[in-house]
Amino acid sequence: MRIALADDSALFRSGVVLLLQASGAKVTAEASSGDELIACLFPAGPAAAHGPVDQERPDAVILDLRMPPTFTGEGISTAAAIRARDPDIGILVLSTFAEASHASQLMEAVGSGVGYLLKDTVTDAGNLISQLERIVAGETVLDPSVVRRLLARTRSASKIDTLNPRERDVLARMAEGRSNVGIAQDLFLSPRTVEAHVTSVFGKLGLGQTDTDNNRIRAVLAYLRSADDQH
Amino acid sequence: MLAQRRDHPLEHLVTRHEPDTLRPPADARGGPRPVRFYLWAGVILIALGGLDTAAQLPLWRQTPTLATVNLIMSLAFIATGLMLQRERGQRGVAWALILAGVFRSFDFIDAWNTGPWPVYAVVFGGIDRVFGGYAVLRYPRPALGRPERIYLAVLTGWMLVIRSLVVVTSTATSAGYPASSWWPAITADPRLGGIFAFMGNAGDAVFGLVVVFFLVRRLTETKGLDRIVIAPVIAAGLAAVAAASATAVAQIFSTVSQGPTGAFLAEDLVDFMLPLALLVAVIQRALLPRNLTGLSARVAARADLPGVRYALRETLHDPTLEVLDVSGAPAAARGSRGARVPDGPARELPTAPLPADALPSARPNRRLVEVIRTDAGAPIAVVIADAALERYRGLFDAAVRTSALALRNAQLQAEAARAELDSVRASRARIVEAALGERRRLERDLHDGAQQHLLGLAARLTAAMTRTRDPEATAAFGHVRAELGEVLAELRDLAHGIHPQTLVQSGLAAALEEVAERLPLAIHLNVAPDRAPPTVEAAAYFTACEALANAVKHARATRVRVAVRVTASHLEMEIADDGVGGADPSGKGLANLLDRISAADGEAVIDSPPGRGTAIRARIPCG
Repeated sequence: MRIALADDSALFRSGVVLLLQASGAKVTAEASSGDELIACLFPAGPAAAHGPVDQERPDAVILDLRMPPTFTGEGISTAAAIRARDPDIGILVLSTFAEASHASQLMEAVGSGVGYLLKDTVTDAGNLISQLERIVAGETVLDPSVVRRLLARTRSASKIDTLNPRERDVLARMAEGRSNVGIAQDLFLSPRTVEAHVTSVFGKLGLGQTDTDNNRIRAVLAYLRSADDQH
Repeated sequence: MLAQRRDHPLEHLVTRHEPDTLRPPADARGGPRPVRFYLWAGVILIALGGLDTAAQLPLWRQTPTLATVNLIMSLAFIATGLMLQRERGQRGVAWALILAGVFRSFDFIDAWNTGPWPVYAVVFGGIDRVFGGYAVLRYPRPALGRPERIYLAVLTGWMLVIRSLVVVTSTATSAGYPASSWWPAITADPRLGGIFAFMGNAGDAVFGLVVVFFLVRRLTETKGLDRIVIAPVIAAGLAAVAAASATAVAQIFSTVSQGPTGAFLAEDLVDFMLPLALLVAVIQRALLPRNLTGLSARVAARADLPGVRYALRETLHDPTLEVLDVSGAPAAARGSRGARVPDGPARELPTAPLPADALPSARPNRRLVEVIRTDAGAPIAVVIADAALERYRGLFDAAVRTSALALRNAQLQAEAARAELDSVRASRARIVEAALGERRRLERDLHDGAQQHLLGLAARLTAAMTRTRDPEATAAFGHVRAELGEVLAELRDLAHGIHPQTLVQSGLAAALEEVAERLPLAIHLNVAPDRAPPTVEAAAYFTACEALANAVKHARATRVRVAVRVTASHLEMEIADDGVGGADPSGKGLANLLDRISAADGEAVIDSPPGRGTAIRARIPCG
């Protein structure tokens, strides 16, 4: 497995490189920022389009969430940029602190073949390698603490209470696993109207406005949680 | 500053400056020079006293008491008249008093019992009353009223005519004088003479009643400072009239044709009150500026418009006095009734500034107006007072000047206090900002330094572990790795506690969710996703953390509700638990919490009735 790495801490980077090499992976590139890594992976100019780059192409990249220049969410924008240029590269974002909102942003930016783990994962070589393999295989990996938090975010039943009856109908059918088209037929609505309702549901549940699988799952989780509360 | 301007648009309200008012011209203050004046007055007093002594010379032998009292009376009137010479606008009154004094003793010139003097005494014997009446009725006004002028003219005419009639219808002997005295009798008819004499005395009594009417009317009509000044004069005048009437009645029933000495004496003594009262009045006027001391104390105690209004009303004895705020008066539409204050660009009086009771119905248009200005000339207030105060212009101006000083000082103080408050607020905001920056820096140092360093070490350790198969080494490594994991977790919590990245990046809602998740409580969050400025969010976040910690530690709560609302101007937060309540707002925890809110310039209310949970409501301004 070939891995590329971007982290502004040289100490951490060298530790991870050692760990990956000890675990049998090959580190193809290291960088101290997301931009540097992108420049390294996708060199500009026509000559670089083929050839050796393919051999150096990583199976996955490990990105620090906080990197220069602003130390806020560069890991996520770098992930989106890499995914846009090469959808087959798996992406693992590491963070010192598991933050649910960042995980959501990452899911929305990248979708699948992505992971969001605590940096503490580096204390378990086997776990790190197996999570990387899952990501390379196209799975989505979330740190258990993040999952707990995503669930916690849906805890507030009051958000469900803000939905109007029509939106609640739409959400109930989403929970049954129906697509927008299926819901439209069920409720005698146009697919466009259902889309509007779905967007509105996401908005009211504080999930962002886009209809992604991730959001659908979280909306449904919120719905199920509120149903639990009521019984 | 206080000078009345001729082109004042409120001119119609302003009393015209009457030529005979008491306002001393600024450049010609005072009367004759004191030393020269007193010398002159002393000479006149001695001369007139000598004249009066001579006039009643025989009386000294007949009834020395009456003669002495007469002389003292005359001198008192003359002296008072001389004193009043120095009071501006009261020359007329002063001369009337001097003449009253001179003629007082001449009333008794008939004691000579020879020549024309008996006839003079009969005909002109009451002329001093006309002068005295003039002084009492007029003082301290610049002129007599028309009815009073007519009254005095009629009184004088009546006295001279009726007494002349008495003379021509009687003889010297029938009138009680020696036959040797000159007597222009036409028809010596004792009955007719008796009737005229009776009419004369009855007339005196009636005219006395009219004066009573005038004096009582003046007392009821005058208000304020005038009343204080004239009250003793009017009281003395009333007493004098009563005494004169009593004398007239006594003369009717008198068996002694020359007149009842006892009644004359009594009238003399009562009349003596008159110059005394005038003296008191003069002193009262002179002492009026002493009221300014009280005014200074009052306006110093309360230097706002209502305070100044009250102080001026008390000092100037004018309950209709108004002080109107024109400092920030919005420009009223032109053409409205709003009157422009002179030289105040675009500043206008409020359109209806005069309360109904500020205008006495008798003279609705005559008001005294002064504008109080700042040192720069911008109007602060307008003082509108009774026109009667024009007679006390010096006192009025001084009072307004004192008030103006107090108002200007108060305004300067308020400005200084406001500036100081602003600077304190700004410095507090800088401190809060700096503290927040310090927290962020600390968190970042931990994150970039120690945390990464330890994580790097952990990775190396893990790498090393993969290279050994030795079970003991693996166990030892495992042990170190586990402890390293604990250190990392602690460090993460520490960094997060110092300043959560979540708060910076995702806002209050996400940050509070993280907090809520770690607490063993059912926490119902209803936090708006809207962002507020970093210092506001931080203040709200740390307040909420402390409140939640209190709910767990002290309140033994099982459920907490946190609601946050963000508007353009404020962040509002309410944290309510179902715990034991009874929290002490002065306790350390809650005091800290309140300090946090105040530091962010916000306000907080803690409601913690025993047994009914604790609710904290905070409101923090956004910027």
